Amino acid sequence: MAKITIDPITRIEGHLKIEVELEDGKVKNAWSSGTMARGFEALLKGKDPRDAPFITSRFCGVCYSVHQLASARALDAAFGANVPWGGTLLRNLVMGAQYIYDHPLHFYQLSALDYIDIMAIAKYNGKDKDLLAVKDKIVGLVTAKDTYPLTPRYEPDAFSVNDPDIVIMAVKHYIDALKMHLAARNMGAIWGGRTPHYQNIVVGGVTSYPDINQVARFRTMLDEQAKFINEVYIPDVLLFGTGPLLPLAKAGIGGGHYNYLSYGDFQLDAEGKKLVFPAGVITGLNPANIKVDPVDTNKITESVKHAWYKENKPVHPYNGEQVFNLDKKGAYSFVKAPRYEGKPMEVGPLARMLVAKNPTLLDLVGKGVKPGAVARHAARAIETKLVVDACYKWCDDLLAAMTKPGFKIHDTEHWEPPSSGMGAGFSEPPRGALGHWIKVKDKKIANYQCVVPSTWNASPRCENGVRGQYEEALIGAPVPDPKNPINVVRVIRSFDPCLACAVHIIDPKTNEIRKFIIE
Amino acid sequence: MKEYDVLSKKLTKVVESHGINRRDFLKYCAATAAVLGLSELEFTTRVAQAMGTASKKPPVLWLEGQSCTGCTISLTQSYPPVASIILDTISLRHHGTIMAAAGDLAEKVLHDTVKEGGFVLIVEGSIPTADDRFCVVGGKPFKKTIEEAAAKAAAIIAVGACATYGGIPAATPSKGVGIGKILPGKTIINLPTCPVHHDHLSGTILYFLTTGKAPALDKIGRPVMYFGESIHDNCRRRGQFDAGKFLTDWNDPKQKEWCLIQKGCKGPMTYADCAIRRWNAGINFCIDCGSPCQGCAEPGFYADMTPLYTAESEISKKILAMRESGLIPKKENT
Repeated sequence: MAKITIDPITRIEGHLKIEVELEDGKVKNAWSSGTMARGFEALLKGKDPRDAPFITSRFCGVCYSVHQLASARALDAAFGANVPWGGTLLRNLVMGAQYIYDHPLHFYQLSALDYIDIMAIAKYNGKDKDLLAVKDKIVGLVTAKDTYPLTPRYEPDAFSVNDPDIVIMAVKHYIDALKMHLAARNMGAIWGGRTPHYQNIVVGGVTSYPDINQVARFRTMLDEQAKFINEVYIPDVLLFGTGPLLPLAKAGIGGGHYNYLSYGDFQLDAEGKKLVFPAGVITGLNPANIKVDPVDTNKITESVKHAWYKENKPVHPYNGEQVFNLDKKGAYSFVKAPRYEGKPMEVGPLARMLVAKNPTLLDLVGKGVKPGAVARHAARAIETKLVVDACYKWCDDLLAAMTKPGFKIHDTEHWEPPSSGMGAGFSEPPRGALGHWIKVKDKKIANYQCVVPSTWNASPRCENGVRGQYEEALIGAPVPDPKNPINVVRVIRSFDPCLACAVHIIDPKTNEIRKFIIE
Repeated sequence: MKEYDVLSKKLTKVVESHGINRRDFLKYCAATAAVLGLSELEFTTRVAQAMGTASKKPPVLWLEGQSCTGCTISLTQSYPPVASIILDTISLRHHGTIMAAAGDLAEKVLHDTVKEGGFVLIVEGSIPTADDRFCVVGGKPFKKTIEEAAAKAAAIIAVGACATYGGIPAATPSKGVGIGKILPGKTIINLPTCPVHHDHLSGTILYFLTTGKAPALDKIGRPVMYFGESIHDNCRRRGQFDAGKFLTDWNDPKQKEWCLIQKGCKGPMTYADCAIRRWNAGINFCIDCGSPCQGCAEPGFYADMTPLYTAESEISKKILAMRESGLIPKKENT
């Protein structure tokens, strides 16, 4: 049995190692390892709780500020703050801009090279001026014998798209997307202050008092984004998914455990009755009859059995108290293993769109696109449009709210930390279900824990030896040539891994680190 | 031909590919020269001379340690656009978030480029000192990779708060440090702020490619052209600071433009040009979204800046005491 290791997995956020065992040209077993740790939660202990949104935003600079929001919500709960509707709208709008940038970035910049044979461009014989410019650029690189960073690469396989007309269009859209997601980030900076890492989200609401011209500017920039999403991004994803990649989609590569979790997020009304993404849990998906159960976050536990932390029973995040043990036998990752009712879950776009029973996605599933790598890309595109539509509504709602007397963006009454309290904050950022848990004592942080999207997806095995979702999704993936494991990276990248935030540490005693170094 | 001529020729091509003609470009050069502090004539002549000959693109290695990839995302907000930097200006041999290659293919390019030498090394993220195993990439401690690459690099640029001075990871159990700490005696261009400012990065690369030299640095390795004055010196709200008008309620439209000192602003002790340059194509920056400057351009970030949102940090107390005793001069001509 051949064992191959891919380290590092590139075109993701963070440091990830994947090991697979092959049998008869297919993945028989797999291990996912997060190989970098910083220890943000340990840093937060004893600090002013209001630091937490700023600090946790730095978990990740690709999906920036998603932790800022979840953290602010955990603080809102612990402080007893009531975020005014104006504050909620401004939080939603900057997060909307984040989605609109992040999803196309993943499709074009982080994934596309896995599906197209970029060198097919040389065979383009069309007359389109823009496309010929793209051809010239790529041919120029080849002629100059300097094709970095487009090569080296895993070689294209039977699933790769090599029709020159499609490939050249995809590469042009790759370049266009760079401009579009830059513009989307600028849109978020209108209230977020700057990107990456917005500055305006704090406990109780936001710091950015809006004016009418800002709304007009955001809306104008949104028009440009909506055009790109509707006329380029979604058609590209659908074209690939139901065209050249249909065999890959039908093969269902990258399925996994078929369990899905969404916390639900983004209020469409002041009362929070309507959400862009509904909450729900699906266990053992049956696409013909999807059964969605309500979420109970008390059913979440984290196992450290196979992670580099001191041995501990699986506990709820509120009670997570872990200490490093880099020498632990059987451990192979800094990522812990969260489970819902003991089961591994997939979180992210596919989970959200299945929980929502989104008709566009279900239509694709009906056409043979099995829930797997290709379906994840489709779900991501579909939900980007939902967010664009919601942003228009939020702009209108903000304009209506801010022109009425008594408009508020912040709960100033609850700005000071309580002497004690606890709270949880949940969110659905682009990569999936995110939860932050905080305990406050003597106005300081007593404990802080996060269970983040890539912890769910990238987790190692748990107490019962059950694989994490990446690991399970790899099982059965065809790898006819062990030197060219392109299907392995396709499956992994379809999750949009974001490892910097998946890895986090609690160190309750300051001398613990020294201890294991001596050992 | 001298190295800088070759490089500026490449730059010319980049600009031309964006539809700017030669005359406009030379005008642009004059403006750039002014920013870079070069003689206009000297700079323009150099670039003009360089037009018309082909050259090899300078190899660049971008390595990520204990990072959040935010500096990479910031890079994509730069001018010239990132696609032209990557495809036309530099030969980006290794960048974990951008490159097509993965696994051993990615490691081989890194290894070969280091062996070859003469590349620009850009580092994002800190290096753990509590234990090398806190950051292992390609099966190798990141610290070792940096030491080996730095020995063969033509220039080293540290981007963001983490790679320069340790940033937030410095305050964690992994004890992250900036690369200067593990590379004693090496000249490192430090571009702090969390994340790196896109203009600081592209401007420094542009400067290096044009002149073949590092820009003038202050005593902690930051280019003086970006980090020479405090946020406070150039803050629009400085008059409010002088007048003692401090924001206490973000809901009050009257207070919208007031000074954020009582909300923890570290602007008077932070040296960077955010208040003039701003971020995201000039759209905004921290203070103009009502959020205090948290001192991310300074080596003390984050440990010295906490608590972030009150005037109770040691730095905030110092700022208020200096204000009280007149040590922070009022702005002239206001």
